[in-house]
This record gives sequence, C-alpha cells and structure tokens, in this order.
Amino acid sequence: MVQFNLPQNSKIEVGKYYKDKTNSKNLKKINIYRWDPSTGENPRVDTFEVDMDNCGPKVLDILFKIKNEIDPSLTFRRSCAHGVCGSCAMNIDGINSLACIKSHTDFKGDLNIYPLPHLKVVKDLIGDLTTLYKQYESIQPWLKVDQTGEEKTELKQSQKEREKLDGHYECILCACCSTSCPSYWWNGDKYLGPAVLLQAYRWINDSRDGDKKERLKKVADELKLYRCHTIMNCTNSCPKGLNPAKAIGSIKKMLATS
Amino acid sequence: MQNKNPLSPHLQIYKWHISSLLSISHRIVGVINFLIICIICLWAISLLFGQNSYEPIETFFKSFIGKFFAVSLCWTFSFQIVNEIRHLFWDAGFGFDLKISRITGVIALVTSFVLTILFFTMGKNFF
Repeated sequence: MVQFNLPQNSKIEVGKYYKDKTNSKNLKKINIYRWDPSTGENPRVDTFEVDMDNCGPKVLDILFKIKNEIDPSLTFRRSCAHGVCGSCAMNIDGINSLACIKSHTDFKGDLNIYPLPHLKVVKDLIGDLTTLYKQYESIQPWLKVDQTGEEKTELKQSQKEREKLDGHYECILCACCSTSCPSYWWNGDKYLGPAVLLQAYRWINDSRDGDKKERLKKVADELKLYRCHTIMNCTNSCPKGLNPAKAIGSIKKMLATS
Repeated sequence: MQNKNPLSPHLQIYKWHISSLLSISHRIVGVINFLIICIICLWAISLLFGQNSYEPIETFFKSFIGKFFAVSLCWTFSFQIVNEIRHLFWDAGFGFDLKISRITGVIALVTSFVLTILFFTMGKNFF
C-alpha cells in the first residue's frame, strides 16, 4: 500500500549532539539515524562532529572513527570494506550506496546517513532484508538441469553464451537498488524488485539452464514484474554500475516476443 | 508476530533524479489528462444545447485564468506525448543506459515546453 508518511512509531526526532573534543580545525558534521530497540523510544538523528584531519577517506572510515572514539554503541553492518560483500549498503546523502567505496569528499557540507529506505529497522543503520532474501529464494537462483544420476555430463558454455551473463552475475545483492525503488516501497511484499529481477534475468539468460520457459512463466506476473515503471532509481544507485532497469526491460521484451 | 520496529525513512530522504521526477510527473499528468478529456467531452455535449450554453465557456477561455488553463493543458498533453515516446523506446529495449536515459529525459522536458508554445500559438491562430 502507498503510504507517504512514516508511521507514528517511526517519526524521527532530534537526537544528541556530540561536540568535538580534539580542537581540530577541519570538522565535518555527520548526521546519523539512530534507533535502539531496547529503549522503546522513537528513532532520532544524532549529530557528530568529526575531526577529518585524522580520518580515512571513506564514509565507512568515518563510521568506524565514530564507533571507536565517540559512541561505541553505533551499529552498522560491514565486512570486506572493498565493495565486494555488500554489507555496508546504506543511504548516504539521499542515495543508496556502499559506505566502503564512497569518499566523503564527494559530499559537500554535512553528511546525512540513514539505513536503506523503507525497511524495518533492526538497530541504527541495519535494516531487515528478510523479505528480499525470501524473494530471491523464490526465483530459484541455481542451475536446473534435466540430467539425473549417472548420465550427468559436463555442461559446456561458449564464450559468447558466457558473455550474456556479463553485467548480471556481478551483482552482490547489497539491496541498494531494491530499496531505492518507489514501486518496491509501496509493493515490497509482492513486487520482486530490481535486485531479484536482475538475478531472475541472469538465470533465464544462462545457456546451461534447462528451465528457461518455466522461469519466464513464473516471473510474468502483474505484481511480480510489471510494477516496474522504469523510474530508474535502481540503475542510478547501483554501486557496481549494473543496470537492473535494463534487465527488467529485457524480461518484459522477452515475454512480449516469445 | 507483527514486527513493531520502526520503518526507515524513504520519500523523506531519497534524492530526486531527473528520471524519477519525470516518472512521477508522467503519472500525475496522465490522471489530469484523463479528467480533462472527460471535461472536453462534456463541453462538446453542451454545444448541442445551443448558443446560451456555449457563452460561459467562451468567456472563461477569454479570461486570464482561462488562458493559463489552456496553456497548462497544452503542456500536460505535449509532455505526456513526448514522455510516452520515451517509454515506447524503453519497451523496445533501447535507451536504458544511464547517460542516455538522462539525456532523453532532458530532451523530453525541453520538447514538451517547445510543443506547448507551438500548440498554443497554432491554436490561437486557428480559432
């Protein structure tokens, strides 16, 4: 359902202000969304003054600096810190991205950091992606072949056939695209969203897969697929430079021409 | 069990891109155009009742508000047409590239204003 306003328990309040204690001249104000499940209070936005002379270049470095030196209770997901795992996806200055590959020098003025949009918050910058993972499972992201038992043979793929997967297999499922999509915000329980549809296209397009028709049939649904209105927020936000909008367009075209 | 955790902010914080802005305008303008076509049909029907029913409409379109209304309508229709062409290209599988979609977006917006001027001046000369 379309609901433009945030529900009562999600209204954001003004939070604490952490003044700089290092007397640094090069300060940057970082506004971060905070919510602690143990307090029962509404979410708030805390402001941290961070000494940028002694801080790494990435947004993730800032978060670590705050966690290490100012407020150890700040909670966020991260793992590889090199844009490969997709754990640190968050909304940085209005656009979803990975904190570990965004430089804070790209943003002028104060930096606003929120969790991925329109998710149930677990704590601070962590959103609940359970629905997305369930939807990913629903498209059966594994190779399906008719071969059984002993007659199993190697499935060969030409270079050309392999090239068809370029631009799709690189997806790290960080959910930046899906949570940037207004259609996914309003119909996230039914519409599959750009990330999952990109993966659906990847499996439809795999020359080794024996279930192409069935896959197409499954995804051809008013709500699952056609809620995409080419808003292009997904492609605009993908930190890996992929194009989910094009993949969804390709599925639609396949269905129209097959 | 229902999840009582708060919902993270969405529309409130997400930055607008030209593509998302045109997309939502396309929808709004579509609804407006639907209503307008209904009104135009009613207007055409009212002509059947003779001169008396036509006069208030003419005075309306001669007033300043009427003219503003006419120009706005020229824009809603021309914008819908141009942006729909963009959508047709997408449906055919072209123009998904980020750069190209941005350029076509700007082109659609500029052309819609050019067409507005064209439609209005043309209409003025004909009628």
